[in-house]
Amino acid sequence: MSIKDKVPVTILTGFLGSGKTTLLNRILSEEHGKRIAVIENEYGEVGIDQGLVINADEEVFEMSNGCICCTVRGDLIRVLGNLMKRRDKFDYVLVETTGLADPGPVAQTFFMDEEISSEFTLDGIVTLVDAAHIDQQLGRSDESSEQVAFADVLVLNKTDLVSDDALDTLESRLRDMNRMTRIIRAENAKVPIETVLNLSAFDLDQILKRRPTFLEPEYPFEWTGVYDLDPGKYELMLEEGPDPEMSLVALVNQGESEEELKDGAESSVRLYAENANTLEPGNTVPYGEHVNLKLENKGNKSFILNIEKPSKIGLFTQHTAEEFNMKVIKSDENKEIPFNTERFWQAEHEHDDEVGSIAIERFGDVDPEKLNTWMGRLLSEKGVDIFRTKGFISYSGNPRRIVFQGVHMLFTAQPDKEWGNEPRRNQLVFIGRNLNEKEMQEGFDKCLI
Amino acid sequence: MPDIEPFSPRGMFHEGWTAEVSDYAIACGWALKGKQFIVGDVAGGIFAFEGDTGKIIWKKENTHSGGLLAMAIHPEGEIFATSGQDGNVQICNCHEGKVIKTLDLGKGWVEHLKWSNDGLFLAIATSKKVYVFNEIGEEKWISEDHPSTVSAITWANKNELATACYGRVTFFDIVNNKTNQKLEWQGSLVSMELSPDGDIVACGSQDNSVHFWRRSTGMDAEMTGYPGKPSHLSFDDSGKLLATSGSERITVWSFVGNGPEGTMPGELCHHTEPISSLAFSNKGMLVASGSRDGSVVASFLKKDGNGDPVGAAFAGDLVGAISWRPDDCALAAVNAKGVVNVWKFKVRTNLFSKGFK
Repeated sequence: MSIKDKVPVTILTGFLGSGKTTLLNRILSEEHGKRIAVIENEYGEVGIDQGLVINADEEVFEMSNGCICCTVRGDLIRVLGNLMKRRDKFDYVLVETTGLADPGPVAQTFFMDEEISSEFTLDGIVTLVDAAHIDQQLGRSDESSEQVAFADVLVLNKTDLVSDDALDTLESRLRDMNRMTRIIRAENAKVPIETVLNLSAFDLDQILKRRPTFLEPEYPFEWTGVYDLDPGKYELMLEEGPDPEMSLVALVNQGESEEELKDGAESSVRLYAENANTLEPGNTVPYGEHVNLKLENKGNKSFILNIEKPSKIGLFTQHTAEEFNMKVIKSDENKEIPFNTERFWQAEHEHDDEVGSIAIERFGDVDPEKLNTWMGRLLSEKGVDIFRTKGFISYSGNPRRIVFQGVHMLFTAQPDKEWGNEPRRNQLVFIGRNLNEKEMQEGFDKCLI
Repeated sequence: MPDIEPFSPRGMFHEGWTAEVSDYAIACGWALKGKQFIVGDVAGGIFAFEGDTGKIIWKKENTHSGGLLAMAIHPEGEIFATSGQDGNVQICNCHEGKVIKTLDLGKGWVEHLKWSNDGLFLAIATSKKVYVFNEIGEEKWISEDHPSTVSAITWANKNELATACYGRVTFFDIVNNKTNQKLEWQGSLVSMELSPDGDIVACGSQDNSVHFWRRSTGMDAEMTGYPGKPSHLSFDDSGKLLATSGSERITVWSFVGNGPEGTMPGELCHHTEPISSLAFSNKGMLVASGSRDGSVVASFLKKDGNGDPVGAAFAGDLVGAISWRPDDCALAAVNAKGVVNVWKFKVRTNLFSKGFK
């Protein structure tokens, strides 16, 4: 049976009170066209408004060999085994786990059990976090950090209860823990359905087509301010700060919604990758270009912004505005124009959660045998602590890119598209507990030719 | 749909009759000493056909809201029991299909039903509990909660019931409310069969192995190397051969002599896709297997577990269940599309079976 004929399954995890049932009901009420079967492990206070709901107690079955990757969820095997005989009655399955569930065995069930994997395909793991409480939960329980670590999508829920600053900090903490995940902010679990269903998150081929990299960008800038500016001449004024220079990208027509800010950030990431033009104080800042502001001189330094027609200008700065006391001043009126919106981005790795992501990106080819030996040893020694692995590899002598992914020690690799003229490179992402980044990078480097 | 080409019955299988039920057929069995054939579909439809002709005698739909999970025909063949996702068990009369008694066991799925060999008791498993009722639906015994959902039940002898769950097999004396024996093994047991004398306990495990114990000696052994979990197990009537399968291949262990420990099992490779049902004939060393590819094969086995196919037929789609008629002169197969096939199976005479030695 091809993957297209298999019934997709989405796993919803998250602590009690994070909004799983709300999201579930939202999906059920909005997806009229789909016939969705729900497997519920938690008897929540909110009822589910739909016919095909099956309650089952979580049963985690470890095997006699003690191998963690063989651990599966017996309740899912039983319930899905029965559901597969009723295939004409539904075309999607949602599994809602309890707040304390370990997502590992749930995911492994779809790879380890032949009967299940022949009929169902794991579409993605969606984890809801309660923005107001997740900070404490992460400190207290392994389960909540594992749920973050396993997520393909993290819904940062109940954002209305938390300040924007706190959300930015929280998002960067979560991003540090899981750099593969997509983070969506929501109030009352209100997220576009297409961001949580039909992700094909375990179908690497599909993912790489949509997004050429597994890594969410680690932004080279810390801050964005959006300014509403009328035509005229403005000065961008900075005082002394932590660095004698600072990179900046200014974008015209920058929107202020979260989605628009992310789009702007993505354009800026690309611009930041280009070499910066150095600007001395008094120079004019061009739009849509990577520039480097010279800030060695004492006192205030001004750069010029020219506005021809009313426009929202987004400034993506390497450091935060606060650090240089950066201001935008309308020249003829000598009046400061405050920003309309600000957004902080992925800060430096300032958190030290046990759970984190390690990314290795290298150009060149690897020796397949050396890589196998290294990966084999890594997974056998650290497989318990490595939750998820994704990546692509360039094998020497192989015209095709090799894509792979793993859940704990379960590991699959397959040839993907041909490299063609693309520069050959490797990208590996590991999410796990107490991983030693330096050691892993060195280990991988030894596999390079 | 299966990938194999349809074919006419071969070897000892001969055209019999076909019929249809409303949905995916998951359970079937012979009643009234082979005069009637009853089929249950996943949606809760129950259909009774004339054993010889396939003519419908009675049918009823939606017997269990949410769907049917199990059906068991009483050894005398006059009554049968069904269970479903609604948490109910119905005991019905075979002649008209009328419900004699409905047992409400709560919210959980009722997944397993087994009549004792003498027909005095009906064992019922739902989530972590097992119940025993008598023929007229009076409660006789309830187990404590098992550590996990009960995955299989079977009768060891008159009053003794065996249950399997994650990590253990337990034997209960249900008349004296005693636990006779606990056999422990850290693994998820997905299937269980007992040899006819009740001594050998065989369990398929989620970790792709078959574990078995000899109750008389306390000895146990683990047979590993299955490509998939051995969900299908069947003992022959002498208890010498155990057919097992978790893939398209059937592995047969022989308990003759000192086996099966240290012996090579017999291997039967007749199907292109995993086995979905497996059953020895009521008498003799004939094993029938149905596969997801829609093929049904009967194989005649030797004492060492090896053997040859003696007949094959095509059921049209994934074989949901198979059942030998009590006289072994016909084999029935029901499939995922709700099609019922009954093939005549040419009578084996002593003279004939010698031909296979």
